[in-house]
Amino acid sequence: MGTPVLTRLERLPRRGLTVLSLQGLSLLVPGGWSNVTSAEALIESVIGSNDPTLIAQVRARADLLSRARHEGYGRALSVYDAVNRSQHATAGLRVLAGVSAGVPLLKRMADLTPPGDTLQAVDLGLKVSAELLAFTQVNGLPGDSFADFAAALADYGSEARLRMAALVTFDGLLPLGDQALQRLDGLLGQASASQLRQLPAYGRMAGLMPGRGDQAHMGFVRRGVEQWVGWADGLVSQLGLSGQRAVQALETTLGPWQGRMNQLAVFLDAFTDTYAHTGVQAVARRLVERAAAEI
Amino acid sequence: MVMPRPLRWVLALVLAGGLLLGGALLLPFSEWLPGGTVGDVPLQQVVNGSTFNQLFPALDPVFRVTMSQEKRGFSEARLKQGDQLIALLAISDTITAPEALAKFEQAREQLKGWPLVEQGPHASALLVADRFQVKVIEQGNSLDAAHRHDVLEEFDLQGLASLATPVLPRS
Repeated sequence: MGTPVLTRLERLPRRGLTVLSLQGLSLLVPGGWSNVTSAEALIESVIGSNDPTLIAQVRARADLLSRARHEGYGRALSVYDAVNRSQHATAGLRVLAGVSAGVPLLKRMADLTPPGDTLQAVDLGLKVSAELLAFTQVNGLPGDSFADFAAALADYGSEARLRMAALVTFDGLLPLGDQALQRLDGLLGQASASQLRQLPAYGRMAGLMPGRGDQAHMGFVRRGVEQWVGWADGLVSQLGLSGQRAVQALETTLGPWQGRMNQLAVFLDAFTDTYAHTGVQAVARRLVERAAAEI
Repeated sequence: MVMPRPLRWVLALVLAGGLLLGGALLLPFSEWLPGGTVGDVPLQQVVNGSTFNQLFPALDPVFRVTMSQEKRGFSEARLKQGDQLIALLAISDTITAPEALAKFEQAREQLKGWPLVEQGPHASALLVADRFQVKVIEQGNSLDAAHRHDVLEEFDLQGLASLATPVLPRS
């Protein structure tokens, strides 16, 4: 919470696996994606002016806003961070299981780790809910009616298309197959509330979720996913996303991949930060839009 | 040495009080305390963003207004033509940003009697009732200064000015 959002933006990597995999995926998303890591460039693009005094004013206002806990910008980032850490932890376990399965003495390790589809579905569900929570932290509840809120959400979604495409492919299509979105509700139905607790991110997010107890939170996750699946399905058919196409696109930047698709998903989960990376960029943009309006 | 009973009590209270005070001052409790508002202005003094929502320009078949951000003292919308984003529209309460008022002192133009300034080549700002800032920030290149002023006029400025009266809605 201590680091202002724009400082976080400036600390994002300019190259590396995360950036390469996002660049690969952006081949499938019209409009592409540019890796914004400069606060000044972001402010310039919002206010359309490179006047240094204006930029400095926006920057100062943005830092003041992101330091105020009540405004939620910092809280949204801590949700993203929690999800990111959790993703690394679970995927790290699976990588370890994959390695140790080949070593006879360590074979039992492989039995301990839960690579099941249900856990993967719960993980995706938790990420979707994290997105909803972060949206309300950053944007409040815009408008006076549910329709206004839905419109704001859809609008945000189309701005953050690459981010959503990354969520759908890296956490849905690659690990669960091309029917991931159709299977999602069924898989979540089989999942028990205790599987929620296996994911480290849940502990951090539980306090922000409505309702009390794992059961209520599982309900929140399922309702959030229900809302999201329809929209995400539209995105998949509009962009023609599939596991196969995603692998091809990723191969152009990451190099050839010979393993299975769900192994690629585990690899990406373990070694990239796409969710938090694009999350910081999305929050920074909304923050700068507000700061520019308030100076 | 045996201390008299009242002295023991006083000493105990002083020690306990000192411990509490030291804890409150030295330990990083501020993270958990309520507050953390912008510029440390109490929330009750800031007009809630939801009261600004109805004051935005009305829906139009060609230009669409989608609300995008709403916080205390702030509400923002996107002005779109089709799928093209043309401008950001915002109303904010300057009580948390008094430094924003300075630029209106040199304002040469007026719109419906309120001071109007240009901020760079793409943004126009209007100060209503010495308190609320209404701003149109162009995105792309389809809204010159004259058009931005037209958009500013579309806001319910009268309604906005009436919010500045001392009796503020406390929601």
